[in-house]
Amino acid sequence: MDFTTFVKPSNGGASSENENETTKKLEFWKHVEYIENHGKQEDDYEYCMTEFLRMSGIYWGVTALDIMGQLDRLDRKSIIEFVKRCQCPNSGGFSPCEGHDPHMLYTLSAVQILCTYDALDEIDCEAVVRYVVGLQQPDGSFFGDKWGEVDTRFSFCAVATLTLLQRLEGSIDVEKAVKFVMSCCNQTDGGFGSKPGAESHAGLIYCCVGLLSLTQRLHLLDVDKLGWWLCERQLPTGGLNGRPEKLPDVCYSWWVLSSLTIMGRLHWISSEKLQQFILSCQDLETGGFSDRTGNMPDIFHTLFGIGGLSLLGHSNLKLINPTLCMPQYIIDRLGIKPQRLTLA
Amino acid sequence: MHGRVKVRTTEEERERKKKEQVLKMRAYRAAMTRLQKKRSAGELDDELLSLTVNLLQRNPDIGTVWNIRRECVLMKVAQLQESKEKEDQGPATIAGEHKDEGDGDKADGDREKVDGSKPTVEQQLQRIYTTELDLTEQCLMVNPKSYCAWHHRCWTLEQNPLADWERELFLCNKYLKYDERNFHTWDYRRYVCAKAAVPQQQELDFCTDKIKVNFSNYSSWHHRSLLLPQLYPNEQQDRPMSEHKLKEELEMVMTAAFTDPNDSSAWFYQRWLLGSGAQLDEKPTVAAFRCWPQKAQLALKKPCADLSQLKLQLTSGEQAWQLESWTPGNEEKTQWQCNHSIEINASLEYALEMQGQRFKLAVQPSDKSIYYFVPPVAAASCSSELLAELQSQLQSCCDLLEYEPDSKWTLLTSALLMRAIDPMQYHEQSLANLIKLQQVDALRKGYYEDLARRWTMEEALTKWPESAQFPQVFELPLKTPKTPYSQYLIVADTVQQAE
Repeated sequence: MDFTTFVKPSNGGASSENENETTKKLEFWKHVEYIENHGKQEDDYEYCMTEFLRMSGIYWGVTALDIMGQLDRLDRKSIIEFVKRCQCPNSGGFSPCEGHDPHMLYTLSAVQILCTYDALDEIDCEAVVRYVVGLQQPDGSFFGDKWGEVDTRFSFCAVATLTLLQRLEGSIDVEKAVKFVMSCCNQTDGGFGSKPGAESHAGLIYCCVGLLSLTQRLHLLDVDKLGWWLCERQLPTGGLNGRPEKLPDVCYSWWVLSSLTIMGRLHWISSEKLQQFILSCQDLETGGFSDRTGNMPDIFHTLFGIGGLSLLGHSNLKLINPTLCMPQYIIDRLGIKPQRLTLA
Repeated sequence: MHGRVKVRTTEEERERKKKEQVLKMRAYRAAMTRLQKKRSAGELDDELLSLTVNLLQRNPDIGTVWNIRRECVLMKVAQLQESKEKEDQGPATIAGEHKDEGDGDKADGDREKVDGSKPTVEQQLQRIYTTELDLTEQCLMVNPKSYCAWHHRCWTLEQNPLADWERELFLCNKYLKYDERNFHTWDYRRYVCAKAAVPQQQELDFCTDKIKVNFSNYSSWHHRSLLLPQLYPNEQQDRPMSEHKLKEELEMVMTAAFTDPNDSSAWFYQRWLLGSGAQLDEKPTVAAFRCWPQKAQLALKKPCADLSQLKLQLTSGEQAWQLESWTPGNEEKTQWQCNHSIEINASLEYALEMQGQRFKLAVQPSDKSIYYFVPPVAAASCSSELLAELQSQLQSCCDLLEYEPDSKWTLLTSALLMRAIDPMQYHEQSLANLIKLQQVDALRKGYYEDLARRWTMEEALTKWPESAQFPQVFELPLKTPKTPYSQYLIVADTVQQAE
């Protein structure tokens, strides 16, 4: 495997890029196979040891395959049955898999999966709403579960879950949820951290920008300041990092890319170079994407690789929605319209 | 999964690894099954606690296993507290009653037995908390970025009224030595500082030390940016901190930036210092306003979702008209309009009032409407000391550019310094830097183009009131369909393309 041509630092000159562009293609069928097999590896060590996030793992796989138009390769029925078994009869929240406890993170993943399969009627949606509502705190923030961890990730999960269930109105205190997220906004760079005062981080910026997009509050952002910080995440390899002076990563590439797209500032980075970076993170043998060129692939980075390429307009891929990281046609079917800015 | 390099291995190695993994997997499954069984049977005992230790040490991200530990801890604490209540009533016998529970704690050993005396309930409680803290520390060694382990540590300390916050501060110092960019540690540090009431000046000194060790530390600059506005507040709110401190910070950050001009951390901080302070809390500001007998248009500097709270009214002498039922005039919600019926007499003086602010209106000669306009960029007041510092920094940047004409950060920062000193005087020169940046930093070409459009529009709007055609005609300096600051143009009758 020779990735050297893609890790070569560039000063951003546009002349020689087209050669690379044509030599690196999306290994479409290898990725399909990778994702399809992922769910069949009950005895795989990695698979077993990551059961604590299984629900999200399924969401990553289902979404990536749907974006590739290959959703029928997974068994819809058994996945829905699995999701149903993971709904906690007491709290209404979802656990990552049987035997584990419910959590906001897996509740969103479960609802996303069911939306994609158009199967929300299979579960007790009101119980999910109650679970999410019950985790909101007086300051507007959300606990991840009853054990009290607070993080802007959970704010996003809460609002996204309720949006997908069409229950954002009249359930939580949206105004307070927004206020808490804005209290996590940093004056220095316009970005967001996990809690008030926390350093800006691309993943959490995605969560907060996403929440503002779902609540139609994007006007609260300092778009010029935040957009600049985000476009500065692009490194000479074309990949994006999550914080200054860090290494590029396919998942951060998604978080920055989707935030910039929501903010109408996608043209502040080089799409072409980013596409090259993402393609360089494909595993040409097994399929799947890794975090960085030459590393081990996993299902998480595979979704964000495919999702990133979709946002960049790669052919043969369905359009992905930048706010909810789900196929756009599903979002349209649900009649949801996350806010997006255009350049002023 | 991050940072796992794909390595070629021999067939033999692969086989060996596979066998090892099968054993590990078996052990994991057996432990999880046992755990779940005991938990559902309500056996929240020491055996259950010790079962979790191995699992968490291998993988601190299994949230449910931490939950089980917390259930066990709560149970033990409740039992001890119950016995404490009894102890308070008659201390002699009660501690002995619960001896089995306390001493049965396998994870912690039996150290109190050595001196022969029985531990008090409080000692036993503290021992429970210490066990949790020790375990999280072991887990953080395995994965210093484990959300679950950090949270469990916070949770444990929250349970303990006698938590030793000083010790936690030392832990932060230690961890920041291993990794000075771990945002979990920084977050935890802020949490601990609040709990331990660490003076902000002490934290600022800590930051200064960290930055002196390594300038390339965005986390530390960030921490600093939280402290300075509180320690050295700026009364006018037009700068992030007092002018005196700002000057000192500018000196410090410039030294850092010049030490390694390719490191972005200090340059980001520098740009913040050069900015205009507390934008987030900024109250809505009127950019332009125009009022006819039948309608009014309002332009705000920044987007506003709801005008009804602004209590807008038109006044003239004793008279006042409420301006209500505003509808957005653009997608960004910076431009609004409303309909009304007000007889306007051009010979009278009118003002627009909004939340206690008063804006004097002028008469538009063409249609006798009344209007207000203020350009988007006002020159910030600047003491002569600060101005001298900015000029000396600009000179240093220009000197550096002599040797390294393509230095991206120097090009950008010198343009920003020029605009901080005098955006009008340096307009052409700062734009020239942006054009150069489009070449040397081609990844962000689109950003520099947009920034140039903004600056060009800012210049045109600043000059406009002096033009003979003001306010009837505005000459648009840009050729793009969408224009930044377009809401400011509501006072013009005609917007035409400049030559």
